[in-house]
Amino acid sequence: MIDHIWTALVMLSSWNLMLTIAICSLYGLFVGAVPGLTATMAAALLVPFTFFMDPLPALVAIVTMEAMAIFAGDIPAALVRIPGTPSSAAYTDDSYELTKQGKAEMVLGVDVITSAIGGLMGALVLMTAAPLLAEVALKFTSFEYFWLAALGLSATVMIASTDPLKAGLALFVGLFFSTVGLDITLGYPRFTLGTTELLNGVDFIPAMIGLFGVSEILRNMGSSHLQYPITAVKAEKIFSGVAKTLWKYKANMVRSGAIGTFIGILPGAGADIAAWIAYAASKRFSKEPELFGKGAIEPIVDAGTANNACLAGDWVPALVFGIPGDSITAIVIGVLFMKGLRPGPMIFEQQPELVYAVYISFIIANILMVPFGYLAIKASGTALKVPRNILMPTILMFCIVGSFAINNSFFDVGLMLAMGILGYFFENNGIPVAPIVLGMVLGPIVEQNFMVSMIKSEWDLTQFFTRPTAAILGVMTIVTWLAPFTPAMMKRMRGGNASQ
Amino acid sequence: MKISDTVVGAGFVTAGALIIAGTLNYPSLEGGHPGPSLFPRILGGMMAAFGGLISLKGLRTGDATQDVEWLLLHKSTGFINAVFVLVGVTAYILFVEKLGFLLMGALLLFVVMWRLKVPPLKALIVAVVFNTIVHFLFAKIMRVPLPLGLVWW
Repeated sequence: MIDHIWTALVMLSSWNLMLTIAICSLYGLFVGAVPGLTATMAAALLVPFTFFMDPLPALVAIVTMEAMAIFAGDIPAALVRIPGTPSSAAYTDDSYELTKQGKAEMVLGVDVITSAIGGLMGALVLMTAAPLLAEVALKFTSFEYFWLAALGLSATVMIASTDPLKAGLALFVGLFFSTVGLDITLGYPRFTLGTTELLNGVDFIPAMIGLFGVSEILRNMGSSHLQYPITAVKAEKIFSGVAKTLWKYKANMVRSGAIGTFIGILPGAGADIAAWIAYAASKRFSKEPELFGKGAIEPIVDAGTANNACLAGDWVPALVFGIPGDSITAIVIGVLFMKGLRPGPMIFEQQPELVYAVYISFIIANILMVPFGYLAIKASGTALKVPRNILMPTILMFCIVGSFAINNSFFDVGLMLAMGILGYFFENNGIPVAPIVLGMVLGPIVEQNFMVSMIKSEWDLTQFFTRPTAAILGVMTIVTWLAPFTPAMMKRMRGGNASQ
Repeated sequence: MKISDTVVGAGFVTAGALIIAGTLNYPSLEGGHPGPSLFPRILGGMMAAFGGLISLKGLRTGDATQDVEWLLLHKSTGFINAVFVLVGVTAYILFVEKLGFLLMGALLLFVVMWRLKVPPLKALIVAVVFNTIVHFLFAKIMRVPLPLGLVWW
């Protein structure tokens, strides 16, 4: 293990990786600090650049960017009451109320330190849990992989969304996209519309750029906010009093770090869900729940720790099983495939230095978050002053060129545009976009393992429950499907008992 | 562009039915077992079922009034801006090979910024400078063959 850590450290100490980390930190901080630009969109726009990088810098770039972006989302939440990314939404009201009371510096100081601590806690869990789970995953067959992917998809719909019906629809759309191209059993072309470009399937990268980049641009075009009125912040004062506050809420941080990492490990649930759950837990156990939403620091400590802890947790299922923990790790899996690497337990044996480098880059990113976060807070006025009517067209140009760059094909630019319209239409009608990505990534895993299992078992469905781990995962999946009906069933049963 | 759940659900029922219809001529595996058609048919069925449930929910809550918003779309600045972008990118795809990235990219940037009320001179300067940077980054450093068209740089 020490050898792998040393090799990873040597790999990370090259000047071009340092430069990658520095550039991606600034990129993540900028994207996070500008309301309307999300970390997922930033990851999608980063992919065309990672296409020209080796696997390690590509992964380090995404790790650094996402950690910084999730923290930076707290800055506009505190200064203009608009969360920079959805992960900061849970505690936006508390942050802004404190800013109105003249405590913006304290809020931002707590934000940056809890983000770094949360991120480090998540990295610690990633380093310990991932290798252990990889040992277990080595024994998995197509039955277990099928159920695991099905569980991931079900969790996306049932746990990670407010409207399971609409999330389900988005998921089926993503799964449908994954069926386009040559099928795995007979190599028969499906839904290719007679084009050669679709024989290899719907290209993941232009689709991501369209769904997260173009749709976001289209939405922002309708916004009346060109610039935001912001509160001036004295950056040099952000750390005063933070240690005392954090010491008071040390138990909260441990609890929220655990919640965030656990939510991250669940396939499909990302940092925004982690923040909301940590916020709810904080309110439930707080001595002053009546202050929540009116300018309390406690929920900021809790949810701010949880959302960054979640990020490393998201990488656990992605690295171990090839099943994304959230939409960003779905993109990461796409990048790994693009680099000819197959995420799964074997990566821990074949490329251990790469895995260790990912661990260490999480630690580096979260340590660097403190000085970089300080600079971001100092420069927050500038980021928020960039006019949207100039920013959005320039991002559009990056989307166009980035989509083209993957295959040097205008078909991909058209695909990006079509996906952008789809994402815009879906979001406007309350249909989440993230399940589409998860469907596109998990679709081939589900179908391939299902078909292999069916052929292997000579079409005997009971074989899906004969192996103990497969049976447990199968039951968990079915229980997840039944979850929305449980309250109604319980009510009916209670009603029946009462009438007896 | 919010439309009623009843209509959205009906759209997904149609999409699900079309997916299933598209698989009717797919070949089977040995022994008559379903092959390439199995997974899309399950998905089509689920899509139609979920779409139907959303439609029913929409009918029950009487949300059809949202469709009236469609009649007012031509007055929505956000919608017009979005259409502008779509037309602009489509025009870019159609003409970039003839005109080249440096010209067409700058033109697209300028037109979209102008539409978003950036003063024309400022929009022109930003469009030309930014597009040249993008060209340098992708075409010169990353060796992406962006179309040259009329401008050979």
